[in-house]
Amino acid sequence: MTAAKTSSRKRGRFVLLLSVLGPGLIAASAGNDSGGISTYSVAGADFGYATLWMIFVMTFSLVVVQETAARMGAVTGKGFAALIRERFGVRLTLFAMLALLASNAATSVAEFAGIAASTELFGISKYISVPVVALVVWLLVIRGSYRNVEKIFLALSAVFISYIFAAVLAKPDWATVAKATVVPQFIGSRDFVMLVIATVGTTIAPWMQFFVQSNIVDKGVTVKDLVIRRIDVVFGAITANVIAWFIIVTTATVLHPAGIRVTDAAQAATALVPAAGAYAQTLFAVGLFSASVLAATVLPLTAAYAICEAFGWEAGLDRSWSEAPMFNSIYTFVIVFGALVIMLPNLNLIAIMVFSQAVNGVLLPFLLIFMIRIVNDRRIMGRYTNGRIYNALSWGTILVVIGLTVALVVMTALGWG
Amino acid sequence: MIYLSQMLGKPVVDATGTEIGTISDVAIATGEIFPRVTSLAFQGPDKTPFMLSWRKYVDDFDAEQVQLNVAGPDLRFSYLQPDEVLLHRDLLNQQIVDTQGMKVVRVNDLKLSESRNQLRLLGAEVGIRGILRGVHPALERVAARLFGKSLRENLIAWNYMDLLDRDLSHVQLSVTHKRLHELHPADVADIMEQLSATQRAKVFDHLENSQAADAISELEDEFQADVIDDLGNQRASDILELMDPDDAADIIGDLPYDKAETLLRLMGVGEARAIRSLLGYKEKTAGGIMTPEVTTVAEEMTVAQVIEHLRHEAAEHESIYYIYVIEGDRHLAGVISLRDLIMSAPETPVADILSRDVIKVLADEDQEDVAETMSKYDLLALPVVDETGRLLGIVTVDDALEVMEEESAEDLELATGRRAGAGMRGVWQWVSRDGWLPVWAVLFLVAAGLESMLVDTDMTGLIIVAAFPALIVMRLAEDFASHAMARVIEDEDEDGRPSLARRLVTDGLSGLAIGAVVGLLAAAVMGVLLGAVSDKAVVRSLEGGAIIGGAFGISILLVAIAATLAGELAERRSRAGKRVSSTTMSVGLMIVGAVSFIGLYNISFRFLARFLLFDL
Repeated sequence: MTAAKTSSRKRGRFVLLLSVLGPGLIAASAGNDSGGISTYSVAGADFGYATLWMIFVMTFSLVVVQETAARMGAVTGKGFAALIRERFGVRLTLFAMLALLASNAATSVAEFAGIAASTELFGISKYISVPVVALVVWLLVIRGSYRNVEKIFLALSAVFISYIFAAVLAKPDWATVAKATVVPQFIGSRDFVMLVIATVGTTIAPWMQFFVQSNIVDKGVTVKDLVIRRIDVVFGAITANVIAWFIIVTTATVLHPAGIRVTDAAQAATALVPAAGAYAQTLFAVGLFSASVLAATVLPLTAAYAICEAFGWEAGLDRSWSEAPMFNSIYTFVIVFGALVIMLPNLNLIAIMVFSQAVNGVLLPFLLIFMIRIVNDRRIMGRYTNGRIYNALSWGTILVVIGLTVALVVMTALGWG
Repeated sequence: MIYLSQMLGKPVVDATGTEIGTISDVAIATGEIFPRVTSLAFQGPDKTPFMLSWRKYVDDFDAEQVQLNVAGPDLRFSYLQPDEVLLHRDLLNQQIVDTQGMKVVRVNDLKLSESRNQLRLLGAEVGIRGILRGVHPALERVAARLFGKSLRENLIAWNYMDLLDRDLSHVQLSVTHKRLHELHPADVADIMEQLSATQRAKVFDHLENSQAADAISELEDEFQADVIDDLGNQRASDILELMDPDDAADIIGDLPYDKAETLLRLMGVGEARAIRSLLGYKEKTAGGIMTPEVTTVAEEMTVAQVIEHLRHEAAEHESIYYIYVIEGDRHLAGVISLRDLIMSAPETPVADILSRDVIKVLADEDQEDVAETMSKYDLLALPVVDETGRLLGIVTVDDALEVMEEESAEDLELATGRRAGAGMRGVWQWVSRDGWLPVWAVLFLVAAGLESMLVDTDMTGLIIVAAFPALIVMRLAEDFASHAMARVIEDEDEDGRPSLARRLVTDGLSGLAIGAVVGLLAAAVMGVLLGAVSDKAVVRSLEGGAIIGGAFGISILLVAIAATLAGELAERRSRAGKRVSSTTMSVGLMIVGAVSFIGLYNISFRFLARFLLFDL
């Protein structure tokens, strides 16, 4: 990200304000990627309003986690991966980086599933769209020109705002919705537990923390400028979760009573019919495609930068294959892996998207443990360590997700639910 | 040899043989070329940290334990001294500057050597071996056996290391502290470019203003403004003042208006005026690259007076090899060289040795023409004048060299299509450069789709998927082409080059190697993919993988050989004075690659289908 770094300083105030709404908003919007959209759609369609409270609680967790990442970047001037390495040594770093790579590879699969699903809505075979998009994404990344394109996709993925209209037009019982948002419900089925884990994993995807922190470091943000970055991450987190909330409300109101289970993108798109009528599919496809491509360009770079930073390997978009072999191999691997898996015939794309988010959810607590240990280390953070509420929320997230994962494993082993 | 990673966690045993704790760290005294270990830090019961003097108490040590010479209760503990560095806390896992390799690396392990009873730090291991050893020593041994010599240690000697994060360690490194300062400013600049903004700022804190000014001048343009912007206003303006006005003006021109004004106001009046006058000229013209610091004298002076004048007035000027003679309103009248000046008797009037035929350029002249003029007349500096002949400044030889380097890089880019250096040039650049790949992709897919419609099979998807890897072959073919093209442009000596036959063999071998690796990878991937598709998984995946892998391997080999031949042909044409088109070459090679890959692929699939009862 250093190489493609353009100084925003030359531009006017207004653009400055826009660029303030930077990494936090991009990370959170890219978080509402194909994995997010499908997880929320399935959650609403299968379990009605039962997962709405998760979104409410997750908003606080997301804000806390993102703010922590931004603060660590500003205070130390180092990326998350560098801090893990310096605080925990090689062995644990290897573990953390494998977790990040696995999570990114899984998410990359979901992005290409999103690309395949959205282009299939337009009648284009995935055997054509996935390789072409994979190639384009790879070239965008290697040429560093993805920054120009990033904004276009960010703008296009804003079509998901239409879920807000769809939710209102679907006329849900707002009282029930409000109650479901604040009163936790739990359904003792394996599907439900996995969906809850996936919801956590897609809302607070591990790569987002690496992305936000390295952006802060690249921009040379110091503690004094931290206020404006906090606005960015809080704004981004809330926007993303408000949209997620409306997606669940919409699908729960439109699809759940009709007994429609989301098994492909066309069914997921029908939730938008109240707002867009005949254009529901087109709207959904455009949004899904943009969000997927946006995330698919950001993901591989995040993994490559973080891993190279942790192990001290040369990194940078301006480095050739022979100068930075690991850097180039990692991002190529993430893209190629995601595309190749989706090229297999007869896949249930929606199920893959949800499953990949569950992988994220399972891996998340481990990275959060690293984060919370580092941010509470006075030698590293000085007086900018976490307060009690922050720690409680972070540990709460960690323990709940670990608990859910254990529950899921036990339920699967014993054949419950 | 002992590695720090092996020592950590090993027991510390006192004279009575009781284990009193485990090693947690060792400290070295800085200031020696290979510093001694001076203190041992260990963890006693209940994780209590202790520190004691190595020289006084350590009796014997090896990779398994440290043996002390007194019993536990008789130990007297000490504290970390100001000149001591803890190896684990301050060095292991940290980023350091490799001042010899000129790059930023991470310390994966530290290597110590034992001599009699002393332990000395040799250096930092920054290679893959250190990482493997850190994960588990057994992993390193296995890897070393597998890869043998190719898995070498990558050791940076202590005297070539410089800590980035001095604030964290709170130590003064007397030997190493000098290192960054001793480097040539251009090397310091190279290192700076690899650091994050915060780290750059830290390194700058440790440089003196004059060194900082030199280093900033050597930074790539894209970093200069950022670095200045990150420094405090007062320091930034002090540093800019020390730089040559032309370099300073370049940087200030890239800063936002407010910041630029603030910095200019903080400077001395003279420096600010010089920079402001330069800001008016366009980039890439004589005015844009000149410096206003010129040594000027009047015609009436004598040689002795001129030399005296030089001593007083021109001490800080970039170039004093030519002294310009002006009359009236800075009108350029002539030039004297330093040589003439020194060779002449002190009382000679300037008018006698003056050369009135001055080679000069106008301020809006293109910088490339300026550089050409300088090289044509072998000048060390070239005066820049306005339309009325007033002397505005001079372009010095170092700026001209930079221009030539820029322009030749641009020429090479034009010829090979390769980009030199960093930076993004937008979507258009990409479209013109790599936009053909998606086009080819679509063409292939259409062709494959047509074929699968005509030849009725149930493996349509597979055929389309497999048509795609042809693009990889084509991308490689293009790289081979630009490689060959670069050779033509660099035009090495006829004598120094190996013969065509020899190059065919070596290039063929490297092509074979690349082909084998790509082929094996493709075979593995296709094997897995096919295995997932089919019921008769094993048979199909092995055969399918072998076909794809073989097609890859052979076609890459063919491309490599074709590239060598095409390169030879191009070189002959270029020596004969004819133009060589790089587009023709790369398109030609790409076609060779694509045709051979798709051909091989199709033929072998059909062969299998017909003769080996392999139903598609």
